[in-house]
Amino acid sequence: MIEIKNITKKYPGQKTPALSGVNLKIESGEFFGLLGPNGAGKTTMIKLLATLLIPNEGEIIVDGERLARSNSNIKRKLSMVTQEYSLRSNMTPEQIMELHGRLYQIPKNVIRERSAELLDFCGLGEHRTKICRQLSGGMKRKLMLSRGLLTAPEILILDEPTVGLDPFARRQMWDLLKQLNDKGMTILLTTHYIDEAQYLCRRIALIDKGKTDRVASPRELIDELGATAVDEFDGSHTKSSFFAAREEALHFAGELENEFVIRSTTLEDVFVTLIGRKLEGK
Amino acid sequence: MGIATAIWEKWIEFKYEWKKITAAALVSPVLYMIALGWGLGSMTRVTDRPYIDFLVPGLIAMCTMNNSFSAVATALNVQRIFEHSFEQIIISPTSLPQYVLGQAIGGALRGMYSGLLVLLISLPFGIGIRVTPAFFLVMFLNGVAFGALGVLAAILANTHADVGRFSTFVITPMTFLCNTLFPLNRIPGVIQLVIRFLPLTHASSQLRGISYGEPVSLLSLGVLAAYAALFVGLSIFFINKRKNL
Repeated sequence: MIEIKNITKKYPGQKTPALSGVNLKIESGEFFGLLGPNGAGKTTMIKLLATLLIPNEGEIIVDGERLARSNSNIKRKLSMVTQEYSLRSNMTPEQIMELHGRLYQIPKNVIRERSAELLDFCGLGEHRTKICRQLSGGMKRKLMLSRGLLTAPEILILDEPTVGLDPFARRQMWDLLKQLNDKGMTILLTTHYIDEAQYLCRRIALIDKGKTDRVASPRELIDELGATAVDEFDGSHTKSSFFAAREEALHFAGELENEFVIRSTTLEDVFVTLIGRKLEGK
Repeated sequence: MGIATAIWEKWIEFKYEWKKITAAALVSPVLYMIALGWGLGSMTRVTDRPYIDFLVPGLIAMCTMNNSFSAVATALNVQRIFEHSFEQIIISPTSLPQYVLGQAIGGALRGMYSGLLVLLISLPFGIGIRVTPAFFLVMFLNGVAFGALGVLAAILANTHADVGRFSTFVITPMTFLCNTLFPLNRIPGVIQLVIRFLPLTHASSQLRGISYGEPVSLLSLGVLAAYAALFVGLSIFFINKRKNL
């Protein structure tokens, strides 16, 4: 279990903290999502979990132990796929995997075996001896995921893992992540693709301006807003209204003069509505 | 384990770029030997030996320092700021003290490689110096000290340009002043005293002494080892202490 306790992180020279008094609890085996607009503090949270950043206040507890840069015990359980291409540009995928395996003290034969499996699975088998800078963006993403899985981590932290992937590769990665979660791996995901979070995550924390707004399952968040949406287009703008029951939505739509669409509410509606309300209230 | 991993990483870097590394390591010593050894040096004697005999050990010390430092500082800073691949080191359970020491040793081996190149290219210049195992030990300790300083610079630098600035303010003055190109006793009192404490002064003095057949100074070896330990310690301290890596 990961417990994020009252975390505040302020960058030097910034007036407002990137994260302010954030509390979260992520259960073992959970697929947990962090959603928020740009600059909300998601990547800061991920970097704190990776110990790349040290909080100004608060602490992170993993399985009862305090997370720290020097705590190898916890770090052995964690693996992270970062948002940026964090790859050595002058190494081959094979060498990148070997370096990672060595950093986690995995025996050489296991590194070789698992690397071959993972690289083949991600379609990088024939590119394993190419220099990394010659790989496409999508290949680099797949390589980063392969590297993250090499150590068979208990906790996998994914920061925008599917950016730059084509729709097929994205679906393939979703399937893989689902399988891993089903086998008990705890996964923490940040993403801009809200459909991705809706499909994958059991619970989601909405984060904005460094604070957590809501923590609930995608279903709960959608039901709170209203499971049925009516989009009305008035010629210049689309206005969405939400209803708990389909009948209410139909009744509402029947009285509209403009073009409209009735559909199921999505997590994206929740996101846009909650963040939008906050922006209006500013 | 962390030490071996860092050395392996430096080896992969070297394997990928060894031609460029070799060529770059040759340029300045060759120029120094032509300009100072053949050119100015033919008109002067600093001791009772030819100037080229004085110059070569100093150049070896200088090249060991420069290459150990830059092999670590540049690569690690690029990995931290541009490639973001240093993040994976921090996230991993590898012991950071071991990793830092491994980087310093990896840097030292690169420094020794460039030092050996200087030795090789000095042969056609007809120098008469003696090389013993102690000679390599001094090169190694000098390399570890400056490799560790490279780690420190890479961690403290907020931009890649900061590494260049660090080099300008710390490495370049040592290059010229630390008993490398001319004897230390030509420098006035207080400045000479300060320079006597610097690691490169001990490295160049020892390399020169060994090459002249003089006994090794345990004090100088100790000073080099102490600098290496200090820079490794400071690097570990700052890696653990920096709030934003």
